[in-house]
Amino acid sequence: MSKIEISHGCAFGEKPLIPQICNIIGIVEETSDVKTFRIQTPEGKKPFECRPGQLGMLSAMFTGESMFCVADQGDDYIEFTVKRVGMVTEELHSLSVGAQVGVRGPYGNWFPTESCKGRNMVFVAGGIGLAPVRAFLSYTLKHREDYGTITLVYSASNKDDLVFKKELFEVWPNEPDTHVNVSVYHACDGWEGEVCYTAPFLEKLGISTENAAAVLCGGPSLYRTCSEGLRKLGFADEDIITTLEMRMKCGVGKCGRCNIGGKFICLDGPVFTLAELAGLPSDV
Amino acid sequence: MILKKENVQNLLDELSKSALVFVPKEVDGVLKFAPFKSADEMTLDIINTTLPPKDLLFPQTQKMYRYGIDADGKMYVDPSDDSAEQVVFGIRTCDMQSIVCMDDVFLTKGFVDEFYQAKRDKLLTVAIGCNKVAETCFCDSMGLDPQNSPTADIQLLEGDDAYSVVAQTEKGEKALESWKPFLSEGSVEVPKIECALKVDMTGVKDKLDRMFDHPIWEELSAKCLACGTCTYVCPTCHCFDISQENKMKDGVRFRCWDSCMFSEYTQMAGDHNPRPTKKERLRNRFMHKLCFFEDRYGKTLCVGCGRCVEKCPVSVDITCLIDQIGEFDV
Ligand SMILES: Cc1cc2nc3c(=O)[nH]c(=O)nc-3n(C[C@H](O)[C@H](O)[C@H](O)COP(=O)(O)OP(=O)(O)OC[C@H]3O[C@@H](n4cnc5c(N)ncnc54)[C@H](O)[C@@H]3O)c2cc1C
Ligand code: SF4
Ligand code: SF4
Repeated sequence: MSKIEISHGCAFGEKPLIPQICNIIGIVEETSDVKTFRIQTPEGKKPFECRPGQLGMLSAMFTGESMFCVADQGDDYIEFTVKRVGMVTEELHSLSVGAQVGVRGPYGNWFPTESCKGRNMVFVAGGIGLAPVRAFLSYTLKHREDYGTITLVYSASNKDDLVFKKELFEVWPNEPDTHVNVSVYHACDGWEGEVCYTAPFLEKLGISTENAAAVLCGGPSLYRTCSEGLRKLGFADEDIITTLEMRMKCGVGKCGRCNIGGKFICLDGPVFTLAELAGLPSDV
Repeated sequence: MILKKENVQNLLDELSKSALVFVPKEVDGVLKFAPFKSADEMTLDIINTTLPPKDLLFPQTQKMYRYGIDADGKMYVDPSDDSAEQVVFGIRTCDMQSIVCMDDVFLTKGFVDEFYQAKRDKLLTVAIGCNKVAETCFCDSMGLDPQNSPTADIQLLEGDDAYSVVAQTEKGEKALESWKPFLSEGSVEVPKIECALKVDMTGVKDKLDRMFDHPIWEELSAKCLACGTCTYVCPTCHCFDISQENKMKDGVRFRCWDSCMFSEYTQMAGDHNPRPTKKERLRNRFMHKLCFFEDRYGKTLCVGCGRCVEKCPVSVDITCLIDQIGEFDV
């Protein structure tokens, strides 16, 4: 099993701060406060080439810019999955297909798609954290023969907060050697699946660490409990990959705020192994 | 070559024909680098301006682009370039070194900041060596020489009635051609000086690497008012926010100075803040200056100008911190 190698500080580009105007060509309402936007240039092209895990700055031009991970991509589009939490995201949610938005990127590093080749992949996500995970998961499905068993463990607060329902319940479970496990924290009518927090759910599933790499993404508490959970299962920190989030304005390592120690999440990250993070200050 | 002091006015008049010339002077009671009008108002003999010259390259508020909706309903983005030929005349060693640090930030590591670069390419730096030091100056402890700014395009040293003039870069040499009529042969006597305030940086970075969880941050931050003064007066602080202002069907997106001492700086959704109290913020500021920047760019981000030492209303003092670190056994 080869070591997981993550590239850092590998994005580059000219005129990084100026957005290009693109169109929204599709919107999926994932939950009451999460929407997925499919974005394309006016010429019908992909706004930029990027790898799974990379970021893009999306702007509702009259309101402001916000950073999102590219949740998926096709030959001629990229997708962002946006949770409504404030000014910019509220404005984005009010837009319809055909609306114009600003896009700049790609920023940040990417998931180690190469060094994970040959491994069984374990994806663990909570809530909107499935967005970055989806980018990697969907890559592994497109390159199915390069990876072993694919296991997804996903939770959200309740049934209505699960994002990418179509993929979760219709698409991914039908992919070869792909296991999708979904739980919610709070039971409700119409939910017959697991009711369980993500960390105990992980343990209950008894996921094998053999030849496996884990990808973990979620809010601060999920991150804490599930990194512990994965360790308990026997995963080494070198084999747990995560993506970090901190407030950012420029996306290119200049505006200052997203540092942990001497690293900038926008440039050196957002993707790190837990082993790499152990060597950094705990300011996240 | 020397530049007689009596010729400075004429030289700057000449330079002003093709560039905006900035000199140290008092404007509304604040010493800063401001457009040259006449030699009378200049304070070339001051030790250090209250505000650093960083705004010549990185304005406090900088328009990045206009956007809007045109007559056909199409959205447009129209990048702004307000860069012009600029000369900073009388910059000191500390501030010159701060430009070296800002060059690292804005021009390296994969992305070149287009707005900074446009201004940087058009800036001529003329340094004057210090013959006096303030109580709060400690640049020589930070590895600098108050009378020599090796990266300045032109270096002047002050004698009694003239400055010695040396071009140090290609740009400086080219610029000197237009200075010729105002220069003459000669030499000047320059008094040797030293900073009165000393700190010992030996081992400080190594110790800081191990001091993230040290109680000092709690103690030091107890009196901090989170006013942000230290970051605004610091020549190397470069953090910014991006915002916009709309007018009917168009608007302007701009960036403006921000401060790591403010709580909103890292505030995230769901009430999460990775630096929730003054302790984490102050720790980040000082560790950035003395430790993190070195990890990233191989130099310290404090140039010893002493501005934060002088201006902090409650005397949070980086030199005392450095002394304290020196005494710790960590
Ligand atoms: C690397 C990275 C990847 C991200 N990926 C996604 C994604 O795929 N999907 C998604 O929905 N969101 C993602 N986010 C979070 C997203 O950027 C913020 O939710 C968004 O910027 C909030 O903007 P707003 O104007 O709506 O909120 P504001 O009105 O500015 O503020 C509302 C609340 O959000 C907080 N906030 C502001 N900016 C951020 C930020 N950058 N991160 C977290 N909280 C913030 C504010 O402090 C405030 O509490 C990501 C953030 C980062 C840094
Ligand atoms: S100037 Fe002093 S009080 Fe103000 S934020 Fe800086 S350290 Fe705190
Ligand atoms: S930290 Fe203080 S002394 Fe150091 S460069 Fe900034 S303002 Fe000057």
